[in-house]
Amino acid sequence: MSEIGYFKVGNMMLRETPARDACFKVVYTDAEMHEFGDMSEIARREMIHRHMTNEMTSVEMAAACVAEFPDAPWELRMELARQAWDEARHVRALHRRLRELGGHKGEFPISALEWNVTCAVDNLPGRIAIQNRTLEAGAMDVMGGLSQSLRSAGDHETADTLDSINTDEVQHVRFSNRWIKRLAESDRRVLMKVAMAIRFLTQANSNFQIKEGGETNAIGKELASPENRIPAVNVEDRKLAEFTDDEINEILRQAGYRSLVSTEATR
Amino acid sequence: MRKITTVSERCQNIATFRHISVKLMETAARWTPTTPEMEAKVMFGRHIWDFAQMADWLGKRTFELRQPEHYTLPPVDAYDAFLKDAAKAESTSDRISTLYDGVLPGLIERYRSYVAATDPILDEPSVVIIDRIVRELERQRVEAAALQRELKLDASAAPKIAARERAIGNIVAEQRVQA
Repeated sequence: MSEIGYFKVGNMMLRETPARDACFKVVYTDAEMHEFGDMSEIARREMIHRHMTNEMTSVEMAAACVAEFPDAPWELRMELARQAWDEARHVRALHRRLRELGGHKGEFPISALEWNVTCAVDNLPGRIAIQNRTLEAGAMDVMGGLSQSLRSAGDHETADTLDSINTDEVQHVRFSNRWIKRLAESDRRVLMKVAMAIRFLTQANSNFQIKEGGETNAIGKELASPENRIPAVNVEDRKLAEFTDDEINEILRQAGYRSLVSTEATR
Repeated sequence: MRKITTVSERCQNIATFRHISVKLMETAARWTPTTPEMEAKVMFGRHIWDFAQMADWLGKRTFELRQPEHYTLPPVDAYDAFLKDAAKAESTSDRISTLYDGVLPGLIERYRSYVAATDPILDEPSVVIIDRIVRELERQRVEAAALQRELKLDASAAPKIAARERAIGNIVAEQRVQA
């Protein structure tokens, strides 16, 4: 494969899925994934496999930004190049843990939807707004709570791995926050590009996420639709990633104030 | 390579090496999503950052040599075309052997030739940077060789690429400022 094209979903153009090992089965909806939602051995293997392949997609997204925006400021390209390495290390660490638990790559279906959406956007502020400021920040929220659950279940090795990964993700979210502000200061149109990118992400999600009223996934687990899920908010890491107090309060408000971490951190 | 005695010549060489580092970073980056094997993506991810750091070190050195920071000069047309053609490799085997067995050995030699040709005291900051870059490039070759063994990749593309590289003489072009 030398170039990656586009495909149409409804009225949206998304980026084709990157090249994948033959062992992987790529799916597009949450309902097709094998999320177990508990802490059993197979559930933990699936969770690690899912994170590993999401990190692989993150390597690819950072790499694509380096390749496709040669005129970006050099310091921003450096951040993206560093991110490509960080995400590559995350893949290695999770692959190691997966094998320790008796798993193997290709054991479960995977998604590349984050790539399909992010890399369909034709500008760099839009891409880092989606990948870093939204998706990685969201993963930061989830990983904080997940690592606590893993510790409660006695799996400290996986919890330690996720904690270490989350530390790197804070920097990826932080540099996107810094660069979006910096780019917007010199060109206010950047804010419009960011807003349009987030709107694009929301539209794309609505095509692939669990439908209203919930769905049963491929292994028979009932999945709640997004409006019935209470999202976690990792306030401490969001502060480290330089979200403002106003931004964090807005996220908490949207999450119904129910957070897995202390809300005192916003004061 | 004849002796390099002037600041201007040193800067032209360093700025050319910087251009090559950026192009190698972009090549590894372009190959990452288009190469199927997860292990290859992981290696490219590391090497994207390696090449970026090399370009950064060289770009800071150009400022010390009386040019702007990250001053960059394209190489002679033959070497520029060589890099562009190398980036067109399609299969994983061809990509790995082209870059790590075809392009990098010649580049390492060019860095060594520069060190041999420049003044070891007056241009020692460049020498220190280049010594570090050469060590990193050699490490990359070791990692690529391990990947070739792990994935059982064919390395037959390399000799032709290496021969083409060797046929190109001096890579520093007549001074042309890159925008």
